[in-house]
Amino acid sequence: MKNDCLLEAQDIHKSYRMGQTQVRVLKGVNLKLAGGEFAAIVGVSGSGKSTLLHILGALDRPDKGRVCFKGSDLARQSGRQLNRFRNRTVGFVFQFYHLLDELNVLENVLLPTMAGKSVVGWLVCRRAAKKRARELLAQFGMAERARHKPYQLSGGERQRVAIARALMNEPEVLLADEPTGNLDWQTGNGILKVLERLNRAGQSIVMVTHDERIAARAGRIIRLTDGVIAQDR
Amino acid sequence: MYKFTLAVRYLIRRRISYFAVAAVALCVFVVFVVITVLSGLSRDFKDKVHGSVGDCVVYTRSLVGFGYYEEFLELLRRQPYTKAAAPVIRNYALVSVVASEPGLIASGRDQTVEIMGIDAASYSEVTQFGQWVRYNKNRIESVFAPSYEPNLPGCVPGIDILFDRDRQGNYYAPDGPRRVVLEISCVPLTAKGALARAGAGELNSKTFYYSDHFEAGYSLDRRLIFLPIGEVQLLCGMATGHKRITHIHIRFKDGVALNNGTAEVKKLWEGFVAAKSGAPFENLLSQVQVQSWKDFSKVIVALVETQQTIMIACFALIGVITVFIVLVVFYMIVSHKSKDIGILKSVGASGFNVLSVFLNFAFLIGLAGSAIGALLGWRFLAHINTIEDWMFEKFDFQLWDRQITSIGEIPNTVDLRVLGTIIFCAIGTCLLGALLPSWRASRTRCIDTLQVAQL
Repeated sequence: MKNDCLLEAQDIHKSYRMGQTQVRVLKGVNLKLAGGEFAAIVGVSGSGKSTLLHILGALDRPDKGRVCFKGSDLARQSGRQLNRFRNRTVGFVFQFYHLLDELNVLENVLLPTMAGKSVVGWLVCRRAAKKRARELLAQFGMAERARHKPYQLSGGERQRVAIARALMNEPEVLLADEPTGNLDWQTGNGILKVLERLNRAGQSIVMVTHDERIAARAGRIIRLTDGVIAQDR
Repeated sequence: MYKFTLAVRYLIRRRISYFAVAAVALCVFVVFVVITVLSGLSRDFKDKVHGSVGDCVVYTRSLVGFGYYEEFLELLRRQPYTKAAAPVIRNYALVSVVASEPGLIASGRDQTVEIMGIDAASYSEVTQFGQWVRYNKNRIESVFAPSYEPNLPGCVPGIDILFDRDRQGNYYAPDGPRRVVLEISCVPLTAKGALARAGAGELNSKTFYYSDHFEAGYSLDRRLIFLPIGEVQLLCGMATGHKRITHIHIRFKDGVALNNGTAEVKKLWEGFVAAKSGAPFENLLSQVQVQSWKDFSKVIVALVETQQTIMIACFALIGVITVFIVLVVFYMIVSHKSKDIGILKSVGASGFNVLSVFLNFAFLIGLAGSAIGALLGWRFLAHINTIEDWMFEKFDFQLWDRQITSIGEIPNTVDLRVLGTIIFCAIGTCLLGALLPSWRASRTRCIDTLQVAQL
């Protein structure tokens, strides 16, 4: 169930300064992602796959090139529009889960909705938001853990909470950066099953991984080598 | 909503924020106590001065005085703004105290004092004299009639002129007036300013008998003796020929603004002086000034106010330290919470939202610290005199020596406006201290905090 081009990267270049040297991480990456796709970006450590994912999700800016979402150039968007893009259009899942320790599971899942609303807006929609957050937690088998703090959960549980948080605002693209990288094989497999299930339901997913076995579970594999796409199948 | 929730959780869960709260609480406590005590001392002092002067004074600095006062008093009392007016003579004298009961009343003291000739009834309408006296509060007209022999000329000395105090400020005062003789001498002057008794000993002396004493609660108590105005007029040479006084004290009716009332009296006096143009001794009228009680007493009041301002400024510097403490604490917290900043930004929070989280946090620190400091300060002030008594008993410590200073209790009346201002400033101080680290947090790029290499 693939739609027209959803997310497009055109000639993306990115470099970082490390001490005295300038390290060129991305050297002209071109990529198109259609709606409903499950794409895995693979490559060795330092190949620039996480950098590419961050640029696709507007967490970072390319030095050169452009990223378009549904034809709209992200570089031309204001800071407010980019915040909205990160809040509504994409959902991030990180290798280290990145949950807020001060909030419980339910509050962590609600965070994107709270961040996107004013106090009044939140008061108006909070019941519906809590209902959706509970549904998501139930969907990922975390309903009983809603009041727990992140440090009371296992790695797999934390990652499921992170996925629930990423899906809270029903984003069009889920961007997952090594979502199983910090988990054992069995737990990571469970997370992959979750992602597969989501994709089957129509969710577009871009996943970064260095593990070929995990990448094989995606419908499309994009291999990044030395800052360019070496293979796309 | 999450901004407030997160700020509350940071406050509760971050132990370092307790240090910031403690710093603010300590600062609020110290400033609150110091300002309350100093403001209380200043307010009490001003009230006492106001109570001894009335609202407005028509006076001359010349010891010769000025005449036509009865006419002016009559005119003044007819004015709609005047509640009461009292003629007064102030002069300097030598007093020699002869006590009949050695040990009970300090005897054998010769000293320079101020004498104030008053009409007790009218003067107590203008001032608080009626409340200061010990034995004649309810029959002020008898204040100069010694109860042991009413026909003798009485006098009302300040309590410190006659009695000694113990270290807790208690006087060795008798239950009723005793027969104490005060020999009072002063130099009489003519209306032209010459010595009235030149070549004849120069001094006028008269014996007065202790009929009551007063306690104004400040330096008047050790340097002033009240006498009947007629007697002082005689002593100072103001009764013969051109009758004179040196001061007219005025009390305005309720609702008359001090400045307006004083301006009205000034206008009235100028008109009166103009009407007396060409009259004998009119030159004495030109030396007369009209001032509000604040201007009249500004030399002594300004001294107290300056001391208060300096002390408050010194203690307000504590606020600067608090800004620095909060700044350091927030730098540490922001450093520890860099991951949270990245997470918030990754879910769409703006820089302003991140700034708000930390400023809310600073606000809560300020609020919690202020609340704790204010409560502790309130409790401390409520018991400050008990604490001082206890420290005096245990460690022989007093804030000031009651044998020297007329102030008895440490003032501890809480002014809610002052407390509100302190809390407002404390919260403002926290926000100021947190501003730079919070701004830094808001400018942090999430990618700089969420990359694996940064964790």
